[in-house]
Amino acid sequence: MAAPMSAVGKPSAERSPFNTTSFQKKTRTKLISIPGTRPSVQNGQLLVSTGVTSLDYLLGGGLAVGTVLLIEEDRYDSYSRMILKYFLAEGVVCRHELFVAAAQDNPDDILQELPAPILDDIAIHKPVEQPRLSCEPQDSLDAMKIAWRYQNLPKVQSALASSSRFGHYYDVSKTMEPEIRQAAKCHHFYLPEHPTQSSPAHSTMLESYSALLKSLQEVINREGFDVAAPMSKSRNILRIGLHSLGSALWGDDLSCHDNPKNGHALTTFLYGLRALLRSSLSVAVVTLPSHLIQDRALMGSITRLCDNAIALESFKGSERETNPLYKDYHGLLHVRQVPHLNCLASKLPDHKDLAFKLKRKQFSIERLHLPPDLSETVSRVSRGELAGAATVASACGSGSSGNKHLDF
Amino acid sequence: MLPELLQGTDAGGFLIIQDSASYSGRHLLKSFINAALNREEAVHVLGFEVSEEELKDGLKGSPVQRLHFHNAYSDPLGWTDQPAFTVHQFRLEELTRLVKQTSHPKPATLVIDSLSWILRHLSPPAVCKTLQQLRKGGSVRAIIGLLHADMHQRGTVGSVCHLATSVITVAPGMKGDGAVAKITKRSKSGKVVLDEVIFSIKDDLTVVVQSKPSQLGPKQIDPEEQETDPTANLTFNLRLSNTEREAKEKLALPFVFSKEKKIALLHSSPGSGRILYEPDANDDYDQEDPDDDLDV
Amino acid sequence: MFTELNSILNTTPDSFTQGEFVLLSDRQSDASFLIHHFLSLYLRARCRVWFVGLVQSFNHYSAISQRLGVSLTQAKEKGQLVFLEGLKESLSVLIPEDTDPGSQAMDFLRDPAVGLKSLYEFVRSSATSSAVGKHEEAEEKWGPPVLLVDDLSVLLSLGVSVGAVLDFSHYCRATVCSQLQGNMVMLSRCDGGEEEDDGDDEGSERLLKGLTHQCSLTLHVQGLPTGYCRDIHGQVEVCWRRRQGDGHHTQKKLFQYKVHDKGASFFAPGTSSAVL
Repeated sequence: MAAPMSAVGKPSAERSPFNTTSFQKKTRTKLISIPGTRPSVQNGQLLVSTGVTSLDYLLGGGLAVGTVLLIEEDRYDSYSRMILKYFLAEGVVCRHELFVAAAQDNPDDILQELPAPILDDIAIHKPVEQPRLSCEPQDSLDAMKIAWRYQNLPKVQSALASSSRFGHYYDVSKTMEPEIRQAAKCHHFYLPEHPTQSSPAHSTMLESYSALLKSLQEVINREGFDVAAPMSKSRNILRIGLHSLGSALWGDDLSCHDNPKNGHALTTFLYGLRALLRSSLSVAVVTLPSHLIQDRALMGSITRLCDNAIALESFKGSERETNPLYKDYHGLLHVRQVPHLNCLASKLPDHKDLAFKLKRKQFSIERLHLPPDLSETVSRVSRGELAGAATVASACGSGSSGNKHLDF
Repeated sequence: MLPELLQGTDAGGFLIIQDSASYSGRHLLKSFINAALNREEAVHVLGFEVSEEELKDGLKGSPVQRLHFHNAYSDPLGWTDQPAFTVHQFRLEELTRLVKQTSHPKPATLVIDSLSWILRHLSPPAVCKTLQQLRKGGSVRAIIGLLHADMHQRGTVGSVCHLATSVITVAPGMKGDGAVAKITKRSKSGKVVLDEVIFSIKDDLTVVVQSKPSQLGPKQIDPEEQETDPTANLTFNLRLSNTEREAKEKLALPFVFSKEKKIALLHSSPGSGRILYEPDANDDYDQEDPDDDLDV
Repeated sequence: MFTELNSILNTTPDSFTQGEFVLLSDRQSDASFLIHHFLSLYLRARCRVWFVGLVQSFNHYSAISQRLGVSLTQAKEKGQLVFLEGLKESLSVLIPEDTDPGSQAMDFLRDPAVGLKSLYEFVRSSATSSAVGKHEEAEEKWGPPVLLVDDLSVLLSLGVSVGAVLDFSHYCRATVCSQLQGNMVMLSRCDGGEEEDDGDDEGSERLLKGLTHQCSLTLHVQGLPTGYCRDIHGQVEVCWRRRQGDGHHTQKKLFQYKVHDKGASFFAPGTSSAVL
């Protein structure tokens, strides 16, 4: 697949097959027929939904085909695993093909836990789910009889959502029916089932990662996800879910030592993964137990080798669980990196103070804000505390080096 | 102190210019080369980090015919077929051979640009040994080396500097193009002189020492900061001329009363009325504290 | 090509200093938009450009250059641009196949301990062969050669040591800047705070320092010290390390910037259009 060196040296060589990838505007019309995809409003890239509507919005409309989303796991891997399942479930509903790799649980188990889609929900769902957040002007017109001056002000909408609908909603209390699930074509990679053949080929990458990369490439080549493949049959998207990469079960010692021996194994794998994805119609979600990795510089280079990166910080088990500021949420969401594939300016989020909550029918990411105080007797003491906490969390940027001076 | 070092009086000396990424010591190194050339000494430059053209470009106006450049820049590791000098040739015999190649009556000065390059590829003990042998060998009069201190472990920097007779550590100055040099000089008798100067280098590579008293160290900056007038460069006027000040002082501000009026208000004169009220039991007195809900 | 940056650096496609080594770096921010500036600048200046793109696919660079008004595909066809697509080349090395031995340039992936000599050989052989005049018969006459690398810190992630990367950049500088009087632009990214530069240096920090000692001009991008802002993406510190004609030593300037869809604007701190 990689052209020999001479082709690179020869300037007037044939046009590379890569020119017909999904990343170019010209071919967009051809590829738009794939179900479950849509072109980006910003730069015309082909997007797929993550299965979480507000996450799609956060990532600029969805995941661009050919990119990797890195999710830094929360401490108990409950919410990151949830997002991974949403991502896979969305693939099943859109009839995409799946590739699931794990070292801890059998991929089959992960697939059996997929949440059930709410398929005929479009009419009923929205008013039920977010009655207060609906911002259609016509129903708010009547409400403004006295304070009519506020009528033209934009509504505060804390849940992140785009105007047009993309992706589906899921009910986490039910699992997907086996018929739906089995309709989707799924490839598995369960590390214990793959005898690691000792390949002396090269030394930086661990055998487990080598085997995974090889198996991925086989699937991509065999099933025709390669963009260079003939366009004869209808194209489809391959969704790749890699669970808990970098954990000890993958044979990686990143999380065990301060100075890991295989410090470059994961980054080399991610580089290879990027190389594979860029030349195929596939998209990947990788979860990583980052709280176990001590080396911040290593985390930085891992992040840079993924295109999107978010981190989940669950309140479970931390003192924040009892903090009144966070009582409406299940955890904080940090945006580590936004993609800028094929464009100079990436779409930056409006601000970075985000929190998530998992409701039965929706995983929603919202702007972190104080809950409205509706009680009659307002205790100002606690409010002062809250405000103090809020300024710490939101006022002058996330994790900045303090407000020593102002930049403007 | 810095001018004395530039004069380069003592033979067998080993001087290290230590710099960091924030300020390059190469300009000062060039000044030393220039000074040596002007003393009609032969200078051998072992150049790992600059090309001959770049070095000579900065030495315009100096008598460069006594400057011998040994090119370790274009191929220091022997990757191509015709290496002029590789880092692995950094041994006593090779260096002596290089220096002896040119016939010159006086022993030469060896300039190494930079030691960091060598230390990255050879073990520090080997480098130290070679340097010491060179000093004692007699073929070179003095060694001047540039060392990027921030590229090595502190121990490596320490052990190389331990060999040196003088160490000049350069750092960026507070303002302008001045730089700070911390100088440590050890004489043969064992006397150690410490000095700190602010210097700048002119276009003709002469070093100008701007200020010397640095015993105070950073405290010295305080008076300077006080001197700077915050009202100096404003787009609006914050200063008053004398007439303006007079006019300002004349102006009576509202609610600022004269002394008489104040007294008059404070001590009511006899004859003015007063209201005295004594509450009795039938008074309708509100028991509740009006500021009850105010918890300040 | 960002015209505002050109005026800051006092360059135009028609006149620029030769023999310069420009170092682009960032800390907890993203400086890759500057690579696109230099790529389009030198292509417009009719230089022959060698681009070692390790981070993204050719399509990515091509799509952005299109927005900046330069066609990479055309430049490639004309022989003006030589593009080494690291992602594509690496696959055959990472997933070895019997039939395709892969390219020599990415040899370091097999065993990072051997260093980057093979990558340098790729640069040198193509750069010097063209200088001799392989393409002279074509009607086009190209300016000085330019080498762009995006980015060096990926090499560290792939297991190459800091020393090997520094050797590589040194050799490139000796060949491109000194021997061929061309220019060189390299990007190096590092993470982690500035305060941790004591004690055991991390790889990317040490790399950045070593490169700073080699280069003649640095553009260092970092986020605002006061935190995230949507209208100002960060600040760029421009630092000339070589003695300029007017006798300046290390001259520093600080600008804030914002990246747009088709360019970037640079302004003095505090003069963003969002706050004025």
